[in-house]
Amino acid sequence: MAEILLDIRNLHARVEGKEILKGIDLTVRRGEIHAVMGPNGAGKSTLGAVLTGKPGYEVTEGSVTFAGEDLLAMAPEERSWAGLFLSFQYPVEIPGVGITNFMKTAVNARRKAQGLEPMKAPEFLKLMKEKMALVQMRPEFSKREVNVGFSGGEKKRNEIFQMAMLSPVLSILDETDSGLDVDALKIVAEGVNSLHTPETAAMIITHYQKLLDYVRPDIVHILKAGRIVRTAGRELVEEIEREGFDKF
Amino acid sequence: MGHGHYIEPAFGREVHRVGAGERLDLDFVILPGQPRDLRIEVDLVGEGAEVNLRGLYLCPSDEQVSITVILHHRVSGCRSSQLFKGIVGGTAKVRFDGTIIVAPDAQQTEAYQENHNILLTETALVETSPQLEIYADDVKCSHGATVGRLNEEEQFYMRSRGIPEAEAKILQMISFLAPVTSHLPETQAAAIESALRSIL
Repeated sequence: MAEILLDIRNLHARVEGKEILKGIDLTVRRGEIHAVMGPNGAGKSTLGAVLTGKPGYEVTEGSVTFAGEDLLAMAPEERSWAGLFLSFQYPVEIPGVGITNFMKTAVNARRKAQGLEPMKAPEFLKLMKEKMALVQMRPEFSKREVNVGFSGGEKKRNEIFQMAMLSPVLSILDETDSGLDVDALKIVAEGVNSLHTPETAAMIITHYQKLLDYVRPDIVHILKAGRIVRTAGRELVEEIEREGFDKF
Repeated sequence: MGHGHYIEPAFGREVHRVGAGERLDLDFVILPGQPRDLRIEVDLVGEGAEVNLRGLYLCPSDEQVSITVILHHRVSGCRSSQLFKGIVGGTAKVRFDGTIIVAPDAQQTEAYQENHNILLTETALVETSPQLEIYADDVKCSHGATVGRLNEEEQFYMRSRGIPEAEAKILQMISFLAPVTSHLPETQAAAIESALRSIL
């Protein structure tokens, strides 16, 4: 079996005093694609937020190990440098900050943390161009402000673009399929699939099976009321689609 | 004809009269550690006169800054725009008083004023008081004042991409000030960026 990348043990977390995660156990190995499915309010997005260190989410019990390190002890930026990436359900608009400057700052901050020199401009622009092509973004895209005035589909493609730029070891996609038409969904799926290697892993958090038609999960979890109530292979997706979450 | 200049803000008064068809551009920058009491008076006295006032202030420690602007539209067909932005932290105190007076004869006046502030600490204080005194009826006037904080959702988004917290805040502050700094000489903009870096 491949090496364990993410190990979540008995994770409890609360938001504004309310316990949302009530003891999650989940193990992701390199090369695997996991789907975390569940009804609204199950704690799916909270799981993504806790793993990326969003302020306001308090871990009250349990542990999370990422590539052998204590993930919960790291600041959000350190988690990114370690290779964690979250595709936001609601990507944030940053007026006045251009995408090129934003990405350059992000890429070079990580290089600095790794003891590397900043990336040279031609090399950086080549990388931008290549990754924009991956999500079918037109050249003007690089001149826009981060997510400002973007359509729903553009925002999600921008998330996958950033993911491609940062080439994470573990990508968490939080409801990336919500609000996407089939064309945008395919672009997102192709992006995710093309970045997948035996060394990397992905966790797809979703309500529907839509994205899972294009990105095939190896392992499927059902999250309900803050606990994982079932873990199985991809056949579980069809079972949920047929019978809903109620029976679990 | 137009003329503009960058004023070195000091304790004192700037008084300007702008005549028919003339344009005045005034910019000022107050860097950290510069307590100031600045008063700017502009009279638009000739038809078609135009004035653009822009300023920014960085007061991260214990600065006391007072800015007073009195803009008088005395005749018709003049235009004025004002944009002042500030970042205030520590125990600094900033007071902004901006008055626009539109005289009874000053029809077809356009007058805009904005003052926006970001507070970095609970102990910093901004008092902003924009005032319009309009005695003509055919005018377009607006004013707006805000006092807010750096957006934490934006910060988390940037940090999740590996941008350190301090760098995320600097990006936010640079973009907040951009509508003013984009009009300043390159050297001034660079001085502002390095001042922002020293704040955090």
